[in-house]
Amino acid sequence: MTEEFLVAKDLRKRFGDVPAVDGVSFTIRRQEIFGLLGPNGAGKTTIIRMLSTTLEPDAGGIEIGGRSVAEDSVGVRALIGVCPQELALYPELSARDNLVFFGRMAGLGSRQAKEAAAENLELVGLLDRAKDAVRKFSGGMKRRVNLAAALMSRPHLLFLDEPTVGIDPQSRNHIFETILRLRSEGMSVLYTTHYMEEADRLCSRIGVIDHGRLISLGTPAELKSAIGPPDEVTLEQVFLNLTGRNLRD
Amino acid sequence: MLRPLLIAWIELKRFGTDRGAIAFSIALPIALFALMYGVFGRGASFSAAASMVDLDGGPLAGELLDRLEAVEGLRVDLMTEAEADRALDRSRILTAVVIPTGFSEGLQSGEPVSILFKRRGSGGETGQIVSHIVQGVAQDIAGEFEARKLARDGLAGRGVPEARIEQTMTPLLDEARAVAVERRTVGEEEAPAGRLIPGVLTMFLMLAVTLSASSIVDERRMGTLERLLTTRLTVNQLFLGKFLASVGRAMVQALILLSLAFAILRVADAAAFAQVVAFSLLIAAAISALGLVVAGAARTSEQATWGAVFLSMSMTVFSGAFISVGETGPLAFLSKLTLNKYAMDGLHGITSGNAGLAGQGPEAAILAGITVAGFIVARVVFRTAQKGE
Repeated sequence: MTEEFLVAKDLRKRFGDVPAVDGVSFTIRRQEIFGLLGPNGAGKTTIIRMLSTTLEPDAGGIEIGGRSVAEDSVGVRALIGVCPQELALYPELSARDNLVFFGRMAGLGSRQAKEAAAENLELVGLLDRAKDAVRKFSGGMKRRVNLAAALMSRPHLLFLDEPTVGIDPQSRNHIFETILRLRSEGMSVLYTTHYMEEADRLCSRIGVIDHGRLISLGTPAELKSAIGPPDEVTLEQVFLNLTGRNLRD
Repeated sequence: MLRPLLIAWIELKRFGTDRGAIAFSIALPIALFALMYGVFGRGASFSAAASMVDLDGGPLAGELLDRLEAVEGLRVDLMTEAEADRALDRSRILTAVVIPTGFSEGLQSGEPVSILFKRRGSGGETGQIVSHIVQGVAQDIAGEFEARKLARDGLAGRGVPEARIEQTMTPLLDEARAVAVERRTVGEEEAPAGRLIPGVLTMFLMLAVTLSASSIVDERRMGTLERLLTTRLTVNQLFLGKFLASVGRAMVQALILLSLAFAILRVADAAAFAQVVAFSLLIAAAISALGLVVAGAARTSEQATWGAVFLSMSMTVFSGAFISVGETGPLAFLSKLTLNKYAMDGLHGITSGNAGLAGQGPEAAILAGITVAGFIVARVVFRTAQKGE
């Protein structure tokens, strides 16, 4: 199945005089995990914000599931789920209350939201802690609730912005398994990360972005083969080769 | 329509999990009420102290002090001249009454006598009242002494005993001193606490500015704003939800304050209570909508807090709460630009018992207008600020 579910064409966005995104085009297919890699400040989060309808591009077009973001942002929101880089939860409330609330905001009825909350908490392995306040959770547990909240709208396309930052290997592995399971159920995923081995393991195609421009796009093997035999080259070497070794702040 | 209610509900639920915030929300109106009760709980009868210095020490000076003690609501604080001067110097008192040496002797010999009023500035409102009371009582004593002297002089040499003259004169002088006073009530006096309620309640409801001003920034800080904006929730629904939550929280506090004021200080009857609550709802709505304008523009908690402080303080000051703004001139014009003016005017109209809620149409219309305008401006400001991010 290679049907394109997301099409981004020539996206541009400036903040003042600074071009944050400068003519980026790519597609995401159905049931594909697409990796978007880049150093800090490369423009990854700006792209996700434009794709997820919260930031209007200066130019370019986005279609998700055949719907234009510019013309039908509400319709597009019905198709997407966003798991932001920072935790986006109400810490005073229980995991269940958080999920039910975001489910209701996504358009689910009361009973549907409760059922979906239970399903997603089970999916991320936290059903037994459903009634506990999120503030009592460990970092890894919070990340898993953050992911579960993004799934409450039962999205066709999931945006995952560095979902495994600062968590233990067990939680990270659990998140990987969850993502792979979601893909197998038909979901498309846009995945950003700084961990190259994660991208190598999960993504079927990867786009490398720097200074707001897409500088390389292909499967992990294609990207590696550009600088050497794929079996001997790591994705990190590819990344450093493309974006340089200078420190980014 | 359900989503704004859910937004408001979740905000109130979050508030409900914060025990510190709940305790503060309940304690604040109770503390404010206690302050009002301390000031007005004992009624509004006249009460003042006369700071007296008796340099004379004679019988008529003693008579003057005794009669002043007998005046209802007046307490005599006897002090030395040095003590009085020090108290005046430090503004602890504004007026001291000095009975000079020779006061009694002068009256007894029929010579003119004087009483010295030492004062800072005009002596203060209470000081002026006390001065007039002292002056009146002293003139009474002088007149009575003069009448007694005339009677004694007229009956001299006729063999009338001194005791007989005194026995006859005393009831006559008492009768002459008692001026009949007729009291005719032309309307109910507004309870002192009732006069205070509009200002206190309006200032208290102004706290809603802070609540609504920080509501969007709070979501931004928690990262939930971005998530909410990727759901089917519209910006209108988000702002309406925040608006409802802010009004709800402000009204809970206002109800605590009003319930205590009406139940214990008996500010007015149950009908007036309901009308004040209804009008408070309008005030809370207008204030919350103005807070949302700050919320729409603010990007940080500091911006939201200072925006709310500036808004609430400027409206409180220019409304005439602390300074007299008069009826004309620039200050009067500025006061008309504040929400507080219409809030307090409306509440005064209800608590004074003159017109009730039905008579506050113009004020209610202005508050409703501020609510709608504030809501629209807040949304536009938020959209504009979002685009510039």
